[in-house]
Amino acid sequence: MSALLQIFGSLKLTVILLSASMVLIFFGTIDQVEYGIWHTQKLYFESFVVAWQYPAVWPAGDQLTWLRIPMFGGYTIGGLMLINLTVAYTRRFSLKAAKLGLYAIHLGLMLLIVSELLTDLLAQESQMTVPENGRANYSQTVRENELVLIDRSHPEHDRVHALPTHLLKPGRTLDIPDTSLRARVINFYPNAQLVRAPEAKSPANRGVAAKMGVTAIPKAPDYSEKAINTATAYIEILEGEASLGTWLLSNVLDERFPAQTVQANDRDFKIALRFQRHYYPFEIELLDFAHDKYPGTEIPFNFSSKIVTHHPDSAKNQQALIYMNHPLRYEGHTFYQASFSPDETATILQVVRNPGWLLPYVSVLLMGLGMSYQFGLHFRKYLKKRNTA
Amino acid sequence: MKKIIYSLAALLVLLILGRYLRSATPDTGYDLNSFAELPVQVGGRIKPLDSVARNTLLVLAARQKVETIDGQTLSPIEWFLDLTLRPERADTHPIFKIAFPDDLGLDGLAQPGKRHYSFTDLRPHFETINQQFREIDPEPKTRDAYQRQIAELNNGLSLYHRVMHSLHPIGGAQRLDQLADEYRSYLSLLQPAMAELRKQQAGEEYDTELVKTFLGFGEDYLRLSQTAHLRVIPPPAPIDPMDDWLNLGDELLNVIQTGQLSPYAMSYASLTMAYRAGDATTFNQTLADLRQRVAADFPDDIGRVHFERLFNGFKPFAIAIDLYILVFLFVCISWLRWPTTLGNAAFWILCLAFVLHTFGLAARMYIQDRPPVTNLYSSAVFVGWGAVLLGAFLEKFHRNGIGAAMAALVGFSTLIIAHHLAMTGDTLEMMRAVLDSNFWLATHVVIITLGYSAMFFAGALAIAFTFLGLLRRKFDKDAARSLCGMVYGITCFAALFSLVGTILGGIWADQSWGRFWGWDPKENGALMIVIMCAITLHARWGGIVRERGIMALAILGNIVTAWSWFGTNLLGVGLHSYGFTDSGFLWMCAFALSQLLCIALALLPLRYWRSEFGRERRV
Repeated sequence: MSALLQIFGSLKLTVILLSASMVLIFFGTIDQVEYGIWHTQKLYFESFVVAWQYPAVWPAGDQLTWLRIPMFGGYTIGGLMLINLTVAYTRRFSLKAAKLGLYAIHLGLMLLIVSELLTDLLAQESQMTVPENGRANYSQTVRENELVLIDRSHPEHDRVHALPTHLLKPGRTLDIPDTSLRARVINFYPNAQLVRAPEAKSPANRGVAAKMGVTAIPKAPDYSEKAINTATAYIEILEGEASLGTWLLSNVLDERFPAQTVQANDRDFKIALRFQRHYYPFEIELLDFAHDKYPGTEIPFNFSSKIVTHHPDSAKNQQALIYMNHPLRYEGHTFYQASFSPDETATILQVVRNPGWLLPYVSVLLMGLGMSYQFGLHFRKYLKKRNTA
Repeated sequence: MKKIIYSLAALLVLLILGRYLRSATPDTGYDLNSFAELPVQVGGRIKPLDSVARNTLLVLAARQKVETIDGQTLSPIEWFLDLTLRPERADTHPIFKIAFPDDLGLDGLAQPGKRHYSFTDLRPHFETINQQFREIDPEPKTRDAYQRQIAELNNGLSLYHRVMHSLHPIGGAQRLDQLADEYRSYLSLLQPAMAELRKQQAGEEYDTELVKTFLGFGEDYLRLSQTAHLRVIPPPAPIDPMDDWLNLGDELLNVIQTGQLSPYAMSYASLTMAYRAGDATTFNQTLADLRQRVAADFPDDIGRVHFERLFNGFKPFAIAIDLYILVFLFVCISWLRWPTTLGNAAFWILCLAFVLHTFGLAARMYIQDRPPVTNLYSSAVFVGWGAVLLGAFLEKFHRNGIGAAMAALVGFSTLIIAHHLAMTGDTLEMMRAVLDSNFWLATHVVIITLGYSAMFFAGALAIAFTFLGLLRRKFDKDAARSLCGMVYGITCFAALFSLVGTILGGIWADQSWGRFWGWDPKENGALMIVIMCAITLHARWGGIVRERGIMALAILGNIVTAWSWFGTNLLGVGLHSYGFTDSGFLWMCAFALSQLLCIALALLPLRYWRSEFGRERRV
């Protein structure tokens, strides 16, 4: 046992882990050219193992694509580092002034690893588009999709029943929450192309597909930075055991197309596959959007959105100016100026919910203080030695 | 002996200074300095015509002087005068740099040994060049060397044409000789022509000849407004610094609404006529009047514009480059003979070079009103500055020449890199909105760049260690321990700065878009530097490596830092291109290889180490 502890607490392991992380980060950087940041992050840093493959577009790529380099992913290295640090400090801890800085640095590092994990698991990022003098109460993310049934029978508000697409495995039957309906997944494609082919045999017998002869051809997902995948599904809706029909649903069949509806229990449900939305108990109204450029150029100088929040509890209403490097933190969410519509009449705000957002601040404070302390100590020693020599 | 060496050192320094300070503006009878200081709005700020002349020439000719066909050497502003006021002469100046003229396949163009061609030389080939340009890869990032040359030439010709027409309309010599008269007749035509046009719209009888002449002006000035590159006409006083200036064509069209031509446009016309007539007196008088107007309109900017022109001529970085070479030579000789005297001389020259380097940095900060690092060019200048500061500091304590020599080496290399980065044009450009934060630029960017300085400096010291240990007999255990201590100390310094800088970057990112860490290439590069430092430090503390191992790791740090600084920029993430064809990529690879070679040398078995340190370690 103690031999094992010795290995897990050793500086050798530290150096090995640091080296492994360096290799991981290097390959996790160059592979971003192939897969974009978002997907590479999942492959390399939010995984246990990963293999880098020689890209086909590199010199001699056609002969070398078999070349793969397996390595530990971020979770493995981060986890082992935590163990390494914990064991090392429980075994060798002693309260000495000369080491206080080191403790602070490493405690900060542990906290940083934990906070990165929390961010991976808990943070949500989405975008809210608000037209000038208009309001919005939801944000959406183009990376994730959801299957929704919307009950529009209530005069004041809609009821949205939503299922995230990662549940949509072909052949599965899912209960639609708070209704008597069930959805059977005939097929689901993360990316597809919709074509008009009236003669093709399509599983769909209702809605747009049936009327206009549209079918889906599956495509490989595109992970590059700005790409938006056309998530598409064939969904059969069941009431009890009886089928109400099969619909072709896709996030490109949006508001520009006639709504697809399911009739059940003498109610109409709108059915759709759309970008995942997050609804908020408050609304954001855009009073004014401003976009300044440097004089005589097209280089942007500043974007800003003057907004006001409308909360059911009117004491929480507030006005704010959101601009570069000056987000609004409101009700557990942070709103950043991200972009704007091409005609500059609507602002696009990045909405981030990250319960652990304070952790990195605490951890870097610890590390910064620790390093300054330790460095100061060394530097003083160095100067003293110089002066006495 | 001592006196002789010091005098010799002083003489060499004076020679270098003299070489740069002598080449000031020649006396031609025309007040070139005043002309060079006329303001123009480019890239969001007001700068002197001198900067425009230099940057344009850099882009076209890759140097800041012109050698005319009759053997004269022109300064950038003299060339600019020809270009904008006497274009028929400018067309004969060979200023288009074509590195491989044979590759272009333009019949009769290439002449052996000739790298610069004139507009006149190229005129017969415009059609072909344009044709070739349309056929090459539209995505600049994936072009090969041949395609880049075509694109550069094509864009260069267009830039030349557009800059040429910044101060006068498109037309022949005769038109330019009477430019002020043309404007006056245009202005006098304005009222009657408008009246005739109203008649035409009302369906009444009108003077067709007058309307035709007037519309001819209009079309001509419209074409000019689409061509003219520089915004030389400020809005009427009082002037808001955020207002757009107009180019000459826009101003001439604007007259239709305002009824008044800006006095700036009129003055430029008079300057054109005077210069073409060879009338220096009128030229200088017009210029003096114009200068007075500028001083009245821009009381806050005039000092800065004046300073920028002086700074352009002074070239502190170029002088510093020469001085760094001198320092390095002195130190190398000092290791063979007269160690103290030459060492002292080297130290003081290093200090002088550092002062110049600092002055250049500070001058840029003043001109731009920004912290020191705003783009890749300025980061190169700053990395060198930081390393020289560290080196001078070490040299002051140790006085063994190593600090000075390595400071000179890093200072020299980074300024050379900066010099090449400057070829793309203005290095004092405005910042994109997301980067527009003096606070974060001053903290995060400066600190991370100082981290680069420290990494490169530690790497340079490690290379010095390797060569001294392998070759210099006198290099003993104490010297090795002292040098190793320096590398360790600088690595600690690098670790501190890289970590704090990276952390500040994370906080900035969190403030800007709600993500402390996004794993993007630049962030990853910074993190790799931090990890590299951590590896070196932990390996040392754990006794896993000794002197030579630490040196190998410190040299590896050079590669990691170069990757973080330049390599990540070559990736062009999201564009599906690796920049394999960039010359930057080749340099990056060459650098990495050279460093790997140094690592291999550092790890050579001890029996090849000829120094005393090597012998002692063997037993």
